[in-house]
Amino acid sequence: MTTAQRANFLEYDRTMGMTVMEGRGFYYPVDTAVGRDDRLYVISRSKEETTRGIRVTICDVDSGYFGNFGGYGPAGGQFVWPACGAVDSQGRFFISDEKLHRITAYDAAGNYLFHWGQAGSGVGELDTPSGLAFDGADNLYVADTYNNRVQKFTASGQFLLSIGGTGAEALNLPWGLAADAGNNLYVADFGNDCIKKFSSQGEFLARFGSSGRGDGQFTRPASVAVDPEGYIYVADWGNERVQVLDAAGNFVTKLRGEATLSEWASNFLSINKEEAAARATADLDMEIDYFVDDPHEESSHIERYFWCPASVKLDSQGRLYVTETNRHRLQVYRRSR
Amino acid sequence: MQDTQDTKVELIAHLLRRAGFGASRAELAAATARGYEATVEELLNPQEEQRLSDYLVRRFHPELSGMMGPQAPGENWLYRMATTTAPLPEKMTLFWHGIFATGYNKVIHGKALSDQTRMFRRYALGSFRTLLLELSKDPAMIIWLDNQDNHKGAINENFGRELLELFSMGVGNYTETDIKECARAFTGWSIANRQYMELRSQRDSDWPYGRISWHFEFHPEDHDDGEKVFLGERGNFNGDDIVEIICKQPATARFIARHLYSFFVADEPPVPEWPYTPPADPQAIATLVQAYFDHDYSIGAMLRTLFNADFFKSPAARYTKVKSPVELVAGVLRLTGEFDRPRYEILERHSQASYMGQILNNPPSVEGWHQGTDWLDSGTLVERINFASQQIGDTDKPGIRAMLDRIGAELGAAKATSPERLVDACLEEVGALSVEEDTRRVLVNFSAGGQVEKGAAAARQHIADLLRMVAATQEFQRA
Repeated sequence: MTTAQRANFLEYDRTMGMTVMEGRGFYYPVDTAVGRDDRLYVISRSKEETTRGIRVTICDVDSGYFGNFGGYGPAGGQFVWPACGAVDSQGRFFISDEKLHRITAYDAAGNYLFHWGQAGSGVGELDTPSGLAFDGADNLYVADTYNNRVQKFTASGQFLLSIGGTGAEALNLPWGLAADAGNNLYVADFGNDCIKKFSSQGEFLARFGSSGRGDGQFTRPASVAVDPEGYIYVADWGNERVQVLDAAGNFVTKLRGEATLSEWASNFLSINKEEAAARATADLDMEIDYFVDDPHEESSHIERYFWCPASVKLDSQGRLYVTETNRHRLQVYRRSR
Repeated sequence: MQDTQDTKVELIAHLLRRAGFGASRAELAAATARGYEATVEELLNPQEEQRLSDYLVRRFHPELSGMMGPQAPGENWLYRMATTTAPLPEKMTLFWHGIFATGYNKVIHGKALSDQTRMFRRYALGSFRTLLLELSKDPAMIIWLDNQDNHKGAINENFGRELLELFSMGVGNYTETDIKECARAFTGWSIANRQYMELRSQRDSDWPYGRISWHFEFHPEDHDDGEKVFLGERGNFNGDDIVEIICKQPATARFIARHLYSFFVADEPPVPEWPYTPPADPQAIATLVQAYFDHDYSIGAMLRTLFNADFFKSPAARYTKVKSPVELVAGVLRLTGEFDRPRYEILERHSQASYMGQILNNPPSVEGWHQGTDWLDSGTLVERINFASQQIGDTDKPGIRAMLDRIGAELGAAKATSPERLVDACLEEVGALSVEEDTRRVLVNFSAGGQVEKGAAAARQHIADLLRMVAATQEFQRA
């Protein structure tokens, strides 16, 4: 692969969503799961000071909106700190809850089915479950964050396997997960600033990346996705960017974000003309002397950049969805060739 | 020898209550071993600060970095106050927030307020010149005092007036003409994309993609660069020159010295009374003023002088300051160790301070909060005592569990356990608290009512109940 090809590995496609507490939009989205027919389930975590805004939105890449489900609370089908989602081969949607320490399942339309999970540190127990990924046999990997491990369960919650021990395979506050076609597991090892790869039996296979801001380095990675060719996409959250590695872990390319107005955002501005007029006077991409050398700070000023890209997911067409928590939107990229 | 050691511990406990948010037993032991003056230096120049990481806070609380609502900046800050190993910069940030009081109700941009807090933290202990200059460029302050409406040929005096009256010199030390000339010098000091940002703020708009951080922008075409006469000096002054002139005024030095004295040593009357009421200790103020001029307006140098002065170290100065609600909450959280990781409960803990009368980033007016005994009324006192007692007596909290383990182990190991020893152990655990004789008698009586045996659940609960009573004492509520 030539350098030029690598530079053009991905191209920007579009932006989806906007900030809203209810209805068509997102409010601090933390993850997106891709379902059957590439339906998207976008998890809005919202904020602690309100019980509004927290929900799952069903939509598609063309900004089709198919409603919301779930909401704040401890009852079945509700959640308090929703974190990550995954869809099984039957099209059922699963979500983790970092406050209630449980996993909840819904049918494809968002009807509540069941939940499971017991708080604790024992075998099969969970402390702050975050990342989810199904393997090819519909077993669910769960990032058991504060127990510093990943556990594998059946979809109904029967414990199968624990992954992440001491030494090279040790995990530190794992976050996002992905499984590849060979059922290998990839873990965004948040606290260790790297991606770790394990076999389906939990055998440690590889570590990709180290701490830093350089190419191939990570700062608090949040999420990982793997395409059928083995390319690894990483939400390099603390560096406010997305990086792509090849199957051997070599750096391929990086994205900083280039958001434009989404269809929903355009609609909003078309009916709020005063705000649209004021926005038209603004330079939202200006050169700024920053107070600190911190991409998070830069992203808070430059609207088109990723700001807290917490999730990377791929659909059946190979499109990449980057869920940006603090910008309440998804940026979509596609392979150039 | 024992008395001497106790005296040292009590003095350092006093220092850590005032310069920080109180100290755990381990922190006190370390500071005592280091010595008083070395501890002062460590407070002024903290090495390798440790705290709950910003990344973790952001991961679990997106709002604490996205900041679309009014609570987030305060919750973010409370995490820091409750977990940092460098408490003095936080305390000083709180000090400056009280003087340069800026509120959400007008700014309507949490990130801008949080950025202001970060600016205070960064310059809190440096030269007052730098701090005042950064304050004048601070976007939240610009919007708070309308300096974006301060134009060449059409001045808005708000910032110029408060800069002199509330931020540096105090009334009686300048004229109305000085205010106007000051305002002229700050024309064109605005924020970028002013029209759009102001509109979003007015509408509380976070559409379409959340908040956009603000930053300072100087508009030379809107700046009046004509000649000005300010505090007797003549020139084509810009804001930088005004700050320089302000900083060299003795009135400024006295004003800052009196604020520091009131915050760290003993309550002074509210600022509006200062022109008519002399300081309680004029010699102390003079000492601090001297430090200000001897060290290029360094706030850190003033504090070094203050913490090492007899007027601060005197036993008479101890437990005379009522902790502000935020100081009380932060101090309790440091003892309970609840926030060893991000927790949903930060919301409730932050709200507690508001029930006691203080909402960070939401002062009652440009004058900030009235400190001292004004914090106490029958309602807020109940809130304060209930909060402190409930938290300090909560045996599920890691910090409290560790206290019970230590007390249980020590008293269990000792052959002769007495109610007095148990009371002493509890007082030591919450930061070497010294209580009045009457209070001590009540605690000892309560202590005598339970059996203390190592490991026994009832005994642990008895100690927890005693800790709960300690948290309700007048001394615990004060610094």
